[in-house]
Amino acid sequence: METKRTISLPLPSNRLASSALQALEVDAELSPFVRRSFALKSPTQNCTADEDEAAKTVLETTYRATTNRMLRVAVNGFMESLGVVLGVMEELDVDVLTEEMEEEK
Amino acid sequence: MIAIGLEGSANKLGVGIMLHPEDGSTPRVLANIRHTYVSPPGEGFLPKDTARHHRSWVVKLVKRALREAHVSVRDVDCICYTKGPGMGAPLQSVAVAARTLSLLWGKELVGVNHCVGHIEMGRLITGSTNPVVLYVSGGNTQVIAYSSQRYRIFGETLDIAVGNCLDRFARTLHISNDPAPGYNIEQLAKKGKQLVDLPYTVKGMDCSFSGILAAIDGLAASYGLNGEEKEVEDAGDDSKPTRADLCFSLQETVFSMLVEITERAMAHVGSKEVLIVGGVGCNERLQEMMGIMARDRGGSVHATDERFCIDNGIMIAQAGLLAYKTGFRTPLKESTCTQRFRTDDVFVKWRD
Repeated sequence: METKRTISLPLPSNRLASSALQALEVDAELSPFVRRSFALKSPTQNCTADEDEAAKTVLETTYRATTNRMLRVAVNGFMESLGVVLGVMEELDVDVLTEEMEEEK
Repeated sequence: MIAIGLEGSANKLGVGIMLHPEDGSTPRVLANIRHTYVSPPGEGFLPKDTARHHRSWVVKLVKRALREAHVSVRDVDCICYTKGPGMGAPLQSVAVAARTLSLLWGKELVGVNHCVGHIEMGRLITGSTNPVVLYVSGGNTQVIAYSSQRYRIFGETLDIAVGNCLDRFARTLHISNDPAPGYNIEQLAKKGKQLVDLPYTVKGMDCSFSGILAAIDGLAASYGLNGEEKEVEDAGDDSKPTRADLCFSLQETVFSMLVEITERAMAHVGSKEVLIVGGVGCNERLQEMMGIMARDRGGSVHATDERFCIDNGIMIAQAGLLAYKTGFRTPLKESTCTQRFRTDDVFVKWRD
């Protein structure tokens, strides 16, 4: 019996969503019983074919695992890596650092 | 050129910023920030807890490093991180941060071998040109010499690293892990007077430490010295070894083994210089013993202090920048980590 979980994470811009996807997709899942896929989606419900790329600000992560326990372990690990990505984005993005340097002057 | 180095393969999280001046003069350390995950006495650090520590500290340390170096995002040329070897979860937590920075800032990534980082920082700080390198830490024990674009491993441990042996004996004695168990063993060893017999396991160019650890753990148990320190020790019995004696004996034995395999490599290679790198390289007794051997052979020993010996971010930045200047890049898709990353797997393009 397969178990599945989809996590949708809205981000302020497509640039951030795309960066998060690229940073997270590099590391493969260690367990062969867990499969993971990423996608960028638009927050609106419209599913037009020529969807605007800039509108895709939601990072959607889908996990499939053979057991609930493996799913929980994998999703927990993902959340921890996601925490690092969000932390870096919050405090170390270019505009944030630039603002802070100007404040210090 | 300026590089940011992120290091987190074990319980130390380091962020360093190195400057290589355009005119080719000596590279400079702009920032060297580090935070150590300290576990309670009697316990080692586990990958899960260590990774959690690194995740919670990495943003703060990068910020502090940028501020200390007075460097802006625009000034940075590349972001270097430890690709391996090391613990899986801590390595990954730092790599995710490095990748995210690379994407947000639009800078190139450089994956660095941890051992090569130690060697290059040791060479820079001490100015040694082509030494035999003894790399000793909690995770590695190798005798290395450079030849034909590779750092060749002439000898190494066949089981656990010498630092791992020392750290685990510190656990047996319930010695504090702050600032480091190896440092605390070193301080205790200075008070030791009695040399206890321990296995001496050199095997040609290689060595083995697991038997020594088992033997000294057994001795500690049989003399009732394991666990937390007992305040009431027998004052009269001079023949019975103390905790200090065991630490002294362990150091004398394992360091003699390291000196022997290093000397054998020097003889093979025809080198007169020794460079000691890695966390155990901080140990002054090891430096002293190696110095005696090197001087007897008409050479000298180079060692660095704890700013550079212990895992740090600037060694990753230094090695990364050397590779970067030869054109080496780590594509984002390949910016994974690997727990096993042999020193001689690295193509050393920046040396003749």
